[in-house]
Parts: sequence; structure tokens; C-alpha cells
Amino acid sequence: MAGREAARKVVHQVRPLLSVDKDEARKRVINLYKTWYRQIPYVVMDYDIPMSVEQCRDKLREEFLKNKDVSDIRVIDMLVVKGQMELKETVEIWKQKGHIMRYWKESQDPKPTDFLSKFFNGQN
Amino acid sequence: MAAFLRTISSSLRTGLVGKTIQPSTTLSAARFSTKAEEPAGETRPTVRKPDEVARSHLTDFGRYVAECLPKYVQKVQLTSGDELEVLIAPDGVVPVLQFLKDHHNSQFANLVDIAGLDIPSRENRFEVVYNLLSLRYNSRIRVKTYTDELTPLDSAYGVFKAADWYEREIWDMYGVFFANHPDLRRILTDYGFEGHPQRRDFPLSGYVELRYDDEKKRVVCEPLELAQEFRKFDLSAPWEQFPNFRNANPPSETIETKK
Amino acid sequence: MIRAPLTKALSLGSSTSPIHKIAAAAFRTTAVTAQIPAKAPEKIEVFVDDIPVHVEPGTTILQAAAVAGVEIPRFCYHERLAVAGNCRMCLVEIEKSPKLAAACAMPVMKGWRIKTNSEKTRQAREGVMEFLLMNHPLDCPICDQGGECDLQDQAMAFGSDRSRFTDINHSGKRAVEDKDIGPLVKTIMTRCIHCTRCIRFASEIAGVDDLGTTGRGNDMQIGTYVEKLFLSEMSGNVIDLCPVGALTNKPFSFAARPWETRKISSIDVLDAVGSNIIVSTRTNEVLRILPRENEEINEEWLADKSRFACDGLKRQRLVAPMVRIKGELTPVEWEGALIEVGQKVRAANGAVAGVAGSLADVESMVALKDLLNRVGSEAVCTEQSFPSEGSGADLRSNYLFNRNIQSLETADVALLIGTNPRYEAPLINTRLRKAYVHNELEVASIGPKIDLSYRHNNLGDDSNLITQICNGTHPFAAKLKEAKNPAIIVGSDLLARPDGAGILANLQNFAKGFKSTSALNVLQRNASQAGALDIGYQAGVEEAIKSKPKVLFLLNADEAKVTRDQLPKDCYIVYVGHHGDEGAQIADAVLPGVAYTEKTATYVNTEGRAQQTLAAVSPPGLARDDWKIFRAISEIVGAPLPYDSLEEIRDRLDDIAPHLIRHGHLEANSFQTVAPQLSAAPSISSGKVSVQQLSLKDYFMTDPISRASPTMAKCIQAAKKEGEKKAASASC
Repeated sequence: MAGREAARKVVHQVRPLLSVDKDEARKRVINLYKTWYRQIPYVVMDYDIPMSVEQCRDKLREEFLKNKDVSDIRVIDMLVVKGQMELKETVEIWKQKGHIMRYWKESQDPKPTDFLSKFFNGQN
Repeated sequence: MAAFLRTISSSLRTGLVGKTIQPSTTLSAARFSTKAEEPAGETRPTVRKPDEVARSHLTDFGRYVAECLPKYVQKVQLTSGDELEVLIAPDGVVPVLQFLKDHHNSQFANLVDIAGLDIPSRENRFEVVYNLLSLRYNSRIRVKTYTDELTPLDSAYGVFKAADWYEREIWDMYGVFFANHPDLRRILTDYGFEGHPQRRDFPLSGYVELRYDDEKKRVVCEPLELAQEFRKFDLSAPWEQFPNFRNANPPSETIETKK
Repeated sequence: MIRAPLTKALSLGSSTSPIHKIAAAAFRTTAVTAQIPAKAPEKIEVFVDDIPVHVEPGTTILQAAAVAGVEIPRFCYHERLAVAGNCRMCLVEIEKSPKLAAACAMPVMKGWRIKTNSEKTRQAREGVMEFLLMNHPLDCPICDQGGECDLQDQAMAFGSDRSRFTDINHSGKRAVEDKDIGPLVKTIMTRCIHCTRCIRFASEIAGVDDLGTTGRGNDMQIGTYVEKLFLSEMSGNVIDLCPVGALTNKPFSFAARPWETRKISSIDVLDAVGSNIIVSTRTNEVLRILPRENEEINEEWLADKSRFACDGLKRQRLVAPMVRIKGELTPVEWEGALIEVGQKVRAANGAVAGVAGSLADVESMVALKDLLNRVGSEAVCTEQSFPSEGSGADLRSNYLFNRNIQSLETADVALLIGTNPRYEAPLINTRLRKAYVHNELEVASIGPKIDLSYRHNNLGDDSNLITQICNGTHPFAAKLKEAKNPAIIVGSDLLARPDGAGILANLQNFAKGFKSTSALNVLQRNASQAGALDIGYQAGVEEAIKSKPKVLFLLNADEAKVTRDQLPKDCYIVYVGHHGDEGAQIADAVLPGVAYTEKTATYVNTEGRAQQTLAAVSPPGLARDDWKIFRAISEIVGAPLPYDSLEEIRDRLDDIAPHLIRHGHLEANSFQTVAPQLSAAPSISSGKVSVQQLSLKDYFMTDPISRASPTMAKCIQAAKKEGEKKAASASC
């Protein structure tokens, strides 16, 4: 608690979510990543998804790298909090197979960009 | 004030039942007389007029709270005539609620609800509203505080156990983080749902739609394509519809407190 | 219905147009002498609910209150109609006056303190509401006006919240027999509150004295005296005017509630006036069309064809691309159709032509022209012809309605040559009638005898009359020359004659001697014509036929001006449009385009004012924006056009003619004085001056949309029947 008080003095304007500095936030992110990484074999097994462990790990990496440019500690913390919640939902098998497969967005076709295919598709 | 109220009402009751009006309790006499003065057959539609006595008690109590907790209470106001609101700093959630719950003269032991409010134009866009009820004094009070997307609020779980699910709801709907909450997770939305639906910038139709995919034998999630027209009603009329409400109670009146 | 009484009263009350001021000052008389005061009279101060306002003398209490921002409820009062003062809803208290005054009819006096919200005023309103509702049926749940009903709204706002109506004798409420006044307006006369707005509209604006009242007191009825139809090209406006559900839209009846419809502001393209409209849609279907206020064009009226032809948008639509296979048009995929057309265009080696019809928008015409230019052809033209000799279509003033529509109100002498504005442009005709009523406009016409809804002098239908007028030998020529604000309106069909150039040149030379410039106006009949000529289309299909095209594009061209036998045998006809009409029948390939309610497109009206329609619903089936079809063909042909989006093609329009993207803005026409010098040798051949639309039955079906509309078909039947009835009664 005392450490937290001190940190508040340093940060001054804002109240930290969890971490008080970059290192701590980084540690939390890596921790979360590791936990997910270790859980993936069980997830693949439990949910019986048509994906290999490697594919899942690639996806994990991809999801984490989506936010690689986030630098605000509090935003990182918020993402970590949400990631932890998601991890828990997954590990406890509160989710279903469809929820897990949502990460791959497999049923979505890429939208056409050139004029002719847009014209044939009837998009504006 | 609630104590006051109680004495009044009890004295009133005894007075009515016993057919004797205590001349010493001026307040109760006054209250009784205001009742009697009301014209018997008033049939015109009127906006409910708040009881002046109740208002003054609420005002007094509001001032008292502000005096007791000068560090946290920023403003005290009456809304819609007779609803007491205490606007506090985000740090003060726990001490203020604790005070209101435990103080002998208030005893707001019941957390009725926690509500959220999103006003994106403000610096602290979210308002969190605690509705408290004192069964002891048959009185209600509203405590309001504010925060933004990233600043955590202290959980009221330590004071009211009822706060558990309410705070989960606020977290789910608005994305307000409650520090020290024992089990903060989603409560209304589906697993894997992204975003907080009650935020103003969240579209009414959402971003994704779900359907059952026959090939894959499971529910799939796709970006929204509205097959049916979004229903939107235009209810404006050129004439003012309810001029009877022109003289309605003011939305809020600030109670002056000593600073 | 456009419902913004306060702003409307405000804008009209403080209008700078002298007509309005005079009209406001002396509304009761029909023919007002033009008594423009020499100097502006001093303003007087009155107090509305203690708000001081300065208004001109003669302002009514209601207008003064509008200036103060206070709204007084009313039923019978309407800004554009004479004051009747019979509904009594606008009663207000004036301090120190023993009785209440009807705000719509009472001019203010100096220092009056008007109380619009006092106890007495409120009581009076409640009383009036009570009397009105006593004889008004309680059928709001099945009434089409519900949701946009003044009586409903004002009963909420100003009425009492409990009823004293007890039907002690069980005699029921007053009931009135419904009248059959035509296929457009449905009447439920029991709902009528006798505001007489419809009567005043018919006699003042439409110029048809068909409606009136019979009986007095409780027996008063609105009707047509004897059973007959209310047939006017403006009849739909009484629906908007009716404050209750007595007159409602017959095709729209029981279709939707007004609050659940979406309203999109758009432009009407069924005539060349470019009336502003609101398209009401629900579940991707156009339900009805309402007028949108635009002082400069249509005020707040709308012609019947524009209002009721919208059901034609759902019928006979082209919904899939089609290619003629073994003599039959067969639906195919877009890809196949485009490749087929692309191959033909490439094989044609530049022998390609294009014809744009009456409903084509500027964007698609530009795209067609650009496409044809890229494959090496210049042969793009419009169906409607226009003289090309002399300066022809090079000068905008030659083919536009140079005097803008609004300023017609100030005209004092007008000559109509070979045109029937009543049916070619009903809203221009109402302006002429307005000038006739309020400004003593003197109208003469050359052409067949027609009913213009106001008195005019028919000079005959001989073409020589034009020559006589132009060389000043006809007595009417002198009147035109002496007039302060003369106007000559020439029908575009007249100029399409072989001697059109001569007529135009003669008239231009004649108009040079007038006291005001821009007296000569050409009244176009097609919404596309002015825009097409603006972007350099040639007028008339001769050019396209002469070029012996191997591929001919018909863009909305449905007037059958081009026929198969005029073209080379191997000519491949591509029709781009939205209705299966004349053009699609002769085509080898049909590419479905979209109608004006489905696209965001620019149209130039007969004044030369560019306006845009907005897409209200999405196109049916596989139909695509017309300009995108040409853009797609260009890519298949291998010469892609440099625009992919609406913004980019609008940039292209900007390059061609900047006025095309300044929507709603009217560009001043120069070169009017130069035009006669450039014009060709004047000669007018003799013959008769004819007009295409002579009577009401000719009015309803003039384009693919109205031809597909069942409502319009019913109108024609009704008009024919009424005509026969009239003829029969005249003969016996």
C-alpha cells in the first residue's frame, strides 16, 4: 500500500489501473502471454477446435501484436485486464467452440476494392 | 433530517389516530394545515408539487452531509423538486457510502441500484450513480461520481455486498474499471463480445451479427449487414405537446453549502 | 406535410417580395390593385406576452406573434391563402379589450399588449377545441392523418384533458356523406372541421372553382355542389392543406404512419421545373412524395404527376441485365452483359452514338459522353431537339427560362407561344396565375385554345402571328414593348420544329427592344434537357442517326424518337434505363439503371438551376447507378474513365461546368444581348402552332415512370369520363 501511495505522488494526475511504471506493465503483458501460451494445448484439446497448437500460437501472437504500438501504461493495463478475463472465460470453458473460432473470422470474405468487382457486387 | 421526518410522521400518526393535535410540535401542525388548505376538488392536471417540509429537511440533511465530508462532497442538489443528490469526487466513493450507511441519522443500509451515464463531451465522460434507500427513515438519496475510461473507481463491495453484480454491470456496459472488486467480469454480454454497449459511441445496432452456420455446425460472427431496415421514428410535431409541463419542477436546484 | 408553421409564418411575414406585402395587407379581395406605398411606413410597437416587437402596420396579430417567437394555434389560417377567420382557434386576449380577437385576421394597433397564454385565451382555445371535437369522429386509430394531424396535435397541446361529451340521447355525432372527388384525394367528410382551406386553395391557387360549402351551422358541408370530380393538376395539395383527415392521399391510404417513414429531401424530375420534394420511404419502398418548401421554385405546392406517379417506380422495372439471345431478351449476369456490350463497342471502331432521354441525370450523361469520346465518337445527343443554327445551344440563355420562376410574380404582360404551362409546368402556371391575381398580369397565347385556369387572350394558332408580333404589326407587340416586366414563354416543342431557329431568332430580336432584359424564356419539358445542353450534348437525334452508328446507347430514351429502321441493319442498341418502355423494347442489350428516387444525381431545371436528388431507397434487383454502368463498360472496353466515386465524377462536372455542382444556386445568364447577333437568318414557315398537352387527360402520362403508374392511369380515365360528361351536358 505504501508503494502505491508513493507511486501516486510520482504519477500525480492520474490514478494507475494496476501498474505504476512501464516495466511493471511489460511484466504483466508477458505474464499474460505466457499463461495463454501454456494454456493453448489444453484449449485445443478441450474445445476440439479444428486448429493446431501452432496455428493457435500464431493467432495469439497476432492478437498481442495488434496492440504493439500502445504505450500508455493504463491502456496496456486495461488490455491486460480484458485479456485475463478472456483467458479465464476460456480456461473455465465458459465459452463455446464458436467463441474460440471467432478469432479466425473464417466466414468473412474480404471486401473488393477495385471498381469493377465492387460494381458486380453491388457495393457503392 | 430523516430522524426529523420520522418524528413528524409518527407524531402525525398519533395525532390523527388519537384525534389530538399536539400544539407543541409546530412542524407537524404546519404540515397538517398545509394538507388541509389544499382545495378539495382539484381536478386540473398538475405536476406533482413537492412537499415544502420534506424539501427543507432534505436540504438540511444535504448540508449536513456536505459539512461532514467536505473533502469529498463537491455539490449537493435537489432534483425534480424533492430528490436529494450528493455529487462526490471519485476518491470518496467508499468513505461517503460508508458514512451514509453507518451514520445513525441516515442509515442508508440498502443499495438499490448503481447506474451509469455516458456524456462523451465531458472530460470525465462517465457518471456513476448510487441509489441508496434508508428503510429506517423511509428516505432515499442518490450519490453521483464521475470517471473516465481508464481511471478506476473504488469498488463499493466492501460497504455493500449488493454492489458486486451492479458494478459488474457497469463494467460490462460502460467499461468503468472498479478497483478491488472481488470478481470483475462480464455479466450481460456474450463471451467474446467486444466493446461496451451503453457507451454513446457504440452504435445501437452493434458491430457484428451472429448466425448459425449450417456447414460449420456452429454459430459464426460476422460484420453487421442489416437485412432489415433499421426502425427509426420521427416523432416531432410543430406544436408544443405538453404545455402543462411548462411549469414543471426544475431539473435540479443546487443547495448552497459552506465551503 | 411540411409542418413548421412558426418559421413559415416568419419567413413570409418578413418577406421582401412586394407581392407578399400587398397580399398580406389586402388578402380578402381577389384582384388587388398594385398599391405599392411610396415610402416605407413607420413601424409600430406591440407587445406579445410582454415581448416588445416592431412590425409594419397591417401586420396581423398572428404574424406579430411569430416575429416575437410565440406560436398561436390555428386551423383555418394559412400563409399562402386568403384569411378566412372561421375556425376561431387563434383567439387571443388583448389587454383592455373586452372581447378576444382572432389573431389571424386582426391587424395590430400601436401599443397593444397581446396575451397569448393568459387564462382567458387558454379557456377560449379549450372551448374551441371542445366544439370542434364534439362533432369530430374518434377514429384517429384508423385515420391516415394520425401523426401529422393538426387537430390531434393541438388537442394534445391546447385542449382539455377530459371530456364533457355525453351522448345523452344516443343520437350519435354529426355525420356527413363522403364525396367522390377523384382518384387522388380520398374524402372522409365527417372529419371535416370546415376550415375552408381546400376551397380557398382551389379558387385562389388552382383556379378551379369546384369546391364550396353548402348549408349552414351544423349542416354545413364542403363539397362540389353537384357530384363531380375535383380535377385539377394541383389537386393533391389540398391533402397537405387539410389540417385533419378529411382529405387524404388515396393511393397512400392505410399504407404507413408518418412517424415510421423516412423522409429524404430530393428533386422531382417528371417535369423541367425541378420541384423540391420529400420522398417518404419505408422498408426500401417509396410510399409517397410530398412537396418541400422552396420559395424560388415550387413554394410549397406540388403538381399531381410529381406527387402521385411514384407508384410507377415499382412497376415494369428493369431488374436484371438482359441480352437478346435468339431474338429474345434474356436475363444474364452483369459480367456477361458488360462483356457483350464491351465487345460490340470495341468492334464498332468509333462508330458509336448515344441518345439521352428525358429522365437522364447529368452525371450519367457526362459518363456516357466521356465514354463515347474515349472510343472516338462525338455523336451524343438528346431526344428533344432544339435549333442548332446560329448560336444554337452554345449560349445558355437560348434554351433556358431566363427570367427565374419566382420573378414571374412581378410580370405584367406575358405572351405564351406554343406552350401550355398548365400541364407542361404546372408550378410555373401557378406563378403566372399568382401574377394574374395579384399583379394584374395580362396574358396572351399563340396556339390552340386552352384553359390556363386564368383569363387570357388567345390570339390564334397561326405561325404568322409570331412574325406579326416580331415585326410589330400585331397590336399585342406594342403592349409587350411598353410593359415594365414583360415575359415571353416559348414552348420547347415549338422550337423543335424545323423553323425553330427562325422563331427563336425573331423573338430574340424582338425582345431586344423590351424594357427589361431576360424577357424571353424557353420552357423545357424534360428534366434532362437543360443539363444535357449545358454539358455539350447536341439536341435532336438526327446527329446520332446520321453518324450511322454500329452501337447506339439509349440512356433513358423512351420517346421512340429513334427507330430501328432509321439505323443501319447491324446496329447494336444498348438501353440503359429503369423502365421497360419504348427504349428497352428495341434494344439488343438492356442494362438496368436506377430511377430518380434511387440515385444521388444532378438535374438542371428549366431555369438553369442545378439541383440534386438524394438516394431514398436502394435500387431494385441488380440495377446499378447509370453512370457506374458507363464507368464499368469503359473498363471492359479498355479505356477506363478517371472516376470511381460520386465525389470524383462531381469533380469532373466541376471541370466541365462549375454551376452543375452548385446545387440550388441560380447562375445569372449573360450573353442575352449577344444572342440575336449570332442568330441565323430569321424565317418562320407558315402553319399551325400546336401544343402536345391540351387537356388534363394529356397531362398524366408523359414519361416512363408515369406511364407505368396505375394511379396515373386511373386519373386519365377519370379525366376522360369527366370530359365526356361535360360534353354530354353541353350538348343537351
